[in-house]
Amino acid sequence: MKRNVAIIGCGQTKHSSRRRDVNVAELVSEAVYNALEDAKVSMREVDAFVVGNMPGFEGIAQPEQWLGEWIGTAGKPVIRIATGGTTGGSVGQGGYYTVASGLHDVAVAVAWEKHSDSKEAGATTGLLHVGLGNFFHASAYGLSLKNLVAINIVGAAAGVAVYQARFYMHRSGCDIRHFDMVAAKARRNAAKNKYAHLQWPGCTPEDIAKTEIITYPFRYGHVCPASDGASAIVVAEESIARKKAKQPAWFKGLASYSDEENQLQSENFGGVGVTDPSEQRGAWLSAIKAYKMAGINNPQKEIDMAEIYQPFPSQELIFAERLGLFDEGTAWKALEKGDTDINGRMPCDPSGGVNATNAIGSSALQRILECALQIMGKAGEHQVPKKVHNAVAHGWGGVTNYTTVTVLGDSPGR
Amino acid sequence: MQRKVAIVGYAQSRHQHNMQKTREDMVFEVCKEALHHAGILREDLDTVVTASTDFLDGRTISSVFLSMAVGAFMKDESKVEEDGTFALYYALMRILGGSHDVALVEAHTQGSTMNPHQISCFTLDPLFDRSIGVLNDISAAALQARAYMNKYNVSEKHLATVAVKNITNAAKNPYAHRKMPGLTEKEVMKSKIFCEPIRELMMSPVSDGACAVILASEEKAKKITDKPVWIQGVGTCQSSYLRDRDIDNLDSLEMAARTAYKMAGIKNPLAELDVAEVSEKFAHEELMIYEALGLCKEGGGKKLIEKGTTRKNGDFPVNPSGGALGADPTCATGLIRVIEAAKQIRGEANGYQVPGVRRALAHGQFGICAQKNIVWILGGKSS
Repeated sequence: MKRNVAIIGCGQTKHSSRRRDVNVAELVSEAVYNALEDAKVSMREVDAFVVGNMPGFEGIAQPEQWLGEWIGTAGKPVIRIATGGTTGGSVGQGGYYTVASGLHDVAVAVAWEKHSDSKEAGATTGLLHVGLGNFFHASAYGLSLKNLVAINIVGAAAGVAVYQARFYMHRSGCDIRHFDMVAAKARRNAAKNKYAHLQWPGCTPEDIAKTEIITYPFRYGHVCPASDGASAIVVAEESIARKKAKQPAWFKGLASYSDEENQLQSENFGGVGVTDPSEQRGAWLSAIKAYKMAGINNPQKEIDMAEIYQPFPSQELIFAERLGLFDEGTAWKALEKGDTDINGRMPCDPSGGVNATNAIGSSALQRILECALQIMGKAGEHQVPKKVHNAVAHGWGGVTNYTTVTVLGDSPGR
Repeated sequence: MQRKVAIVGYAQSRHQHNMQKTREDMVFEVCKEALHHAGILREDLDTVVTASTDFLDGRTISSVFLSMAVGAFMKDESKVEEDGTFALYYALMRILGGSHDVALVEAHTQGSTMNPHQISCFTLDPLFDRSIGVLNDISAAALQARAYMNKYNVSEKHLATVAVKNITNAAKNPYAHRKMPGLTEKEVMKSKIFCEPIRELMMSPVSDGACAVILASEEKAKKITDKPVWIQGVGTCQSSYLRDRDIDNLDSLEMAARTAYKMAGIKNPLAELDVAEVSEKFAHEELMIYEALGLCKEGGGKKLIEKGTTRKNGDFPVNPSGGALGADPTCATGLIRVIEAAKQIRGEANGYQVPGVRRALAHGQFGICAQKNIVWILGGKSS
């Protein structure tokens, strides 16, 4: 009864701080047309669209209604999905369900962000508003906005990630040098990816260590950029996929479990909250379900590479463990050994990942897209040397509580 | 459809202008009530899909603090923006895909926090339309109303008749916002003018409200309830943006209806359906919806309202619950229509029940001049 569904085409834009050459609509269409061209699918063959971004960052509500004309949505179903940092992952999974449902045969999933259209960096102000939404709760404890900013609670994404990193350092025994190594690896890998934003060929951990500390344990060199960019995938059912693509990237398993809210920000609706933001039970649950769907029993052996959502370097280590790619507390040891390099045993973020390119809405879709490229053998310079049979794509967001996990493979079998 | 899917439970809040509750409280109450209505527990849910928009909720990542309130924590969940019926569509796709069996769908808006008419300006083309500052959903609807009225010789009295029909129907609906029994056409035509020809009582009120629906696959639905409401057909479509389309018709609704009718095997909707619940954000839209749904010929909308066919006691009642003119918590409005259609099929619409409903239509829309539309065909036991 279950339909087999595959990615048959991928398209993304060049990412940079300011894409002054295009407006939002043109940026989005650039990715969509690249994907259609890659899939050898005409606009007429597309049955449905799944779109998403973080609307507040560009200040356009429901942007697909206006920019739909640029990507050919007129007269077709359009579902808009937005879940914060995981938006792209949710959009990609929406693309899967659109086709798996049997209601549509070919779908385009597209996600984007154009940070430069906002006066201030969206990742800072936008996420500040997430925190402010719960200001009422904090003010009940006598905290003023100034207090909240001072103790990082509404310190946007970095404010949350710092707590998470400290918890992880305490649990695993890693230190700031390992974050330098992850960030350097991300920039080195990005140099091989022509679409990436922060490219630094031959970047070493020492180069990163020279940058100043923003808030311990994060240095300036650890933090992701705010990028303009879009990414799109074409999703199709089995018979079309086999006709159009030499090697489709099959969806094998997927899940998006929400964790409980981070206690630092939560209104504690249920009376409980997460005190350790590096625990990430949502990621555990998602990985377990996705691997079960995919028929993967031992991810350490059966997964060939991973694209992890790591705007901050600590997150590559945390989530590599949560996805079951390394034993608890050992990801930094694998990093030291070079296991997570492009030519390592378990390549993590060969594209450079979110740490090198962060167009927020699109970032998690890019992870799915990059895994698909590796399976299809189209990644170009950053193609991992070994044959990729199974790959796992991860997305993360919300107030540390949203996760998407998508397992792709070179055959639909489970 | 690959699997049969049914609505097994639902709940809605008492819609009003200012609910005096936090968003989280409001949402928690309807979700709890929907689970209670279906007779299941949070543990029985496989997936949760919520609907709202960041702009209407007035915060970035609007769903993020709701995962506790809707019971989505530690569940496979997602959020669809815009009308709740699109979230229902996504939940349906999740069940049809075979990886989930029971889904909870929730939609809400608190219009008292963020005025949806102001927010509508942010959905305009940011390069041109927004900067000239004359358009919002009301002024665009006024242009649409005039274009339609001129084309088919529809008078303001026809719009007033629609408003009277829906608002007096709403008076009997305990959940509706507007309570104006005995409203007359004269009063509607004397109400405050917003943008000629749109008057206060010809447009939907700004409401606070939430609603929730529980969907289940065939095997689960039969275990949960002996009165499942089956989804027989669904279709959705988005038109071009305002400047690139003829606003005097609802072409996307016509296409959505065609898809839904085909799936449900309906050839003559007027004869084969028993009742319709539609999202008419403005009175003239209801006449346009009649035509797009194929209830009458092009331009025949005014005749249906003249003859009283769509009144509660008419041959084909439309909006016995009062429709969007009765209450309009923006993102929840379409999903409330689905609930009202399901209530008619199950015979639970106390006070405004249409006798002998076996098949019903529900419609949801979003965007300026109803740019996006979705049509649901629901059926009872016999089908």
